[in-house]
Amino acid sequence: MNWDSFIYFAIASLLFWAMGAAAAYKYRNKTIPALLTVAGLLIFALFIAGLWHSLERPPLRTMGETRLWYAFFLPVAGLLTYLRWNYKWILSFTTLLAAVFIVVNITKPDIHNKALMPALQSPWFAPHVIIYMFSYAILGAATLVALYYLIREEKIGNPDRLVQMTDELVYAGTACITLGMLMGAIWAKEAWGHYWSWDPKETWAAATWLGYMVYIHYRLKKNASHKMSMIILLFAFLLLQICWYGVNYLPSAQQSIHTYS
Amino acid sequence: MAGKGQSKQPVGQSEMRIWEHPWGYREGFIVAAGIAFSGLLLQLTVGNIQPALFASPVNSIFGALFVTGLTAVHFLLPKNRTVRWLGGVYAAVPAIAVLLLLCIILGLIPQFPHNSSNEQLPPTLFTPLGWYRMTTSWPFVLLCFYILFILGLTTLKRTGQKQSWRDIGFYLNHLGLFLALGGGLLGSADLERLTMSVNEGEIAWRATNQSGEIKELSLAIQLDTFLIEEYPPRLVIIENETGRILPATRPDSYQFEEVGKTVQIAGVTMEILDYLPHAALFRDSTFLNVVPMMMEGATTAIKVRVNNAEDNQPVEGWVSNGSYLFPHSTLQVSGNRSIAMPPQEIKRYRSYVTLYTEKGTARQAIIEVNRPLPVEDWIIYQYSYDDTKGKYADSSVFELVRDPWLKVVYTGICMLMAGALFLFVAGPKKKADEKDK
Repeated sequence: MNWDSFIYFAIASLLFWAMGAAAAYKYRNKTIPALLTVAGLLIFALFIAGLWHSLERPPLRTMGETRLWYAFFLPVAGLLTYLRWNYKWILSFTTLLAAVFIVVNITKPDIHNKALMPALQSPWFAPHVIIYMFSYAILGAATLVALYYLIREEKIGNPDRLVQMTDELVYAGTACITLGMLMGAIWAKEAWGHYWSWDPKETWAAATWLGYMVYIHYRLKKNASHKMSMIILLFAFLLLQICWYGVNYLPSAQQSIHTYS
Repeated sequence: MAGKGQSKQPVGQSEMRIWEHPWGYREGFIVAAGIAFSGLLLQLTVGNIQPALFASPVNSIFGALFVTGLTAVHFLLPKNRTVRWLGGVYAAVPAIAVLLLLCIILGLIPQFPHNSSNEQLPPTLFTPLGWYRMTTSWPFVLLCFYILFILGLTTLKRTGQKQSWRDIGFYLNHLGLFLALGGGLLGSADLERLTMSVNEGEIAWRATNQSGEIKELSLAIQLDTFLIEEYPPRLVIIENETGRILPATRPDSYQFEEVGKTVQIAGVTMEILDYLPHAALFRDSTFLNVVPMMMEGATTAIKVRVNNAEDNQPVEGWVSNGSYLFPHSTLQVSGNRSIAMPPQEIKRYRSYVTLYTEKGTARQAIIEVNRPLPVEDWIIYQYSYDDTKGKYADSSVFELVRDPWLKVVYTGICMLMAGALFLFVAGPKKKADEKDK
């Protein structure tokens, strides 16, 4: 299995996800949309598993490989949100966002390389990166809701319900980035000698974390403005994007040990 | 309701005069900015914080005073509205936001080592502000301590309220962060990081710190053997003139698997004829002789057969990435392309050492990346090695780290992890819960 076969799996998965998203509007019963989405996820998971096996290392090292997991976890986050909250449009949103990352992967394919440098040969590697990609997907879903809120503001029937949804997504996503960050710190102590060195990636991870801290604490007060909350979410997601791949382009970060190949 | 400890919400900020209780976000931003500004004044007058000044026992005393002060303020002034405000959201959110701003600056501006002299920093406006060494600048550190104060007060304040199961998560997160952040800040003054180079067969007991000073240790490291493993060699197609690996947009390569295979790289088809993991290369004016040779400094070589692109005649030859003894060797395929072998990627490297302590104990151990070795109050890391001899390197570089406050920080980290799990499982307070309060 290599990146050349990716396009076939991707098209198949996207087809199922799109059918699931459309089915959400057509059927009141959530079973069919759920099954279609899961089918797409299984196909995609098959590719990831095949790639893992052929590379003989977890596919978590390069930028393209992290995009792969993101494209997988987005429909997962969308599905869980849809099942919990019944909002029909969330499946379309997550499918669309997953498609964006899939297209990026197809147009900017990665180097197929089995080598894993010694520093990455650690049991912390896979959980640290996977939990981060999972949290990015949940927070991505929250950001999509925030965008939806800001665009449709006056026409929303039950804004409180929408905000309760972003609260749940942000609590889950923040819990995951916290765990990812702390795992990274413990791993750093094992690998580099110190748990926190303000490496640019770490700095932006801290900034992202603080951004979501602002949201969570602001939302504690009953007089919190929904609109302001959504804006905070958009800003926090921007910090997240910088942390994920923006650092690779920052002049201040060229010396970072976290720069992806 | 006052007994619940919830501060009354401000009616509408515009309707109230500033500094009129109850305080809200407006006062929060003023206080946080004020603290950052005080830090700025300090920064402009005395420059960066020197961590060495706060080494033990100064940091411990400061920590004890801080916690005592915090506790005193909470217990002696429970009705004071400013104190109640300090333990609440209206103080916390602006403080977090201002710290976030400094973090963003920290992330955008290149950072210099803390022991850089002022001459080494760029001559811009940012230098006196301390932005090139943000984490030892006064505004940053004062703001961190302000947040620690808020964290402490809010934790203590919560103990005065009716306890519910949700409070477990609250204490884990807030007290955990207090320990991790406080321990990390105060502990950084006692952190010692030394590097030590040892050659194979030799013993060393002196290490160098980040300022270049040499320190004698109460332990000695003897490097018995240093081992490197490399990944199998790869073949690539390069552009003769530039040496660039092709295709330029997505460099292709083939990692050797076995002899007899036919592979295609960057549009060039070749057959793998032979493989020598230990070879010597002898070249005279016309001929390259490659022979298997088990020796120190032997290189890796692969023999390939390919059709020359111009005259379609088969051409055979050896490709090798050389070593410190032998030059590398490529096989020309056409006027502007050749088959080459890049240096092999490192799979793992480790040091087999014997440790001697002043007490007279000797023990053998292996030190490897991701598997450091704790000895007395040091942890010894496989830092790097001298790679002039490539895979025949016989000089290992260790890093020795001493961090007395690590246990405090790890306690905080564990609490935060438990708190995060709690956050995930419990989620935000449901509206139904609020009706009960």
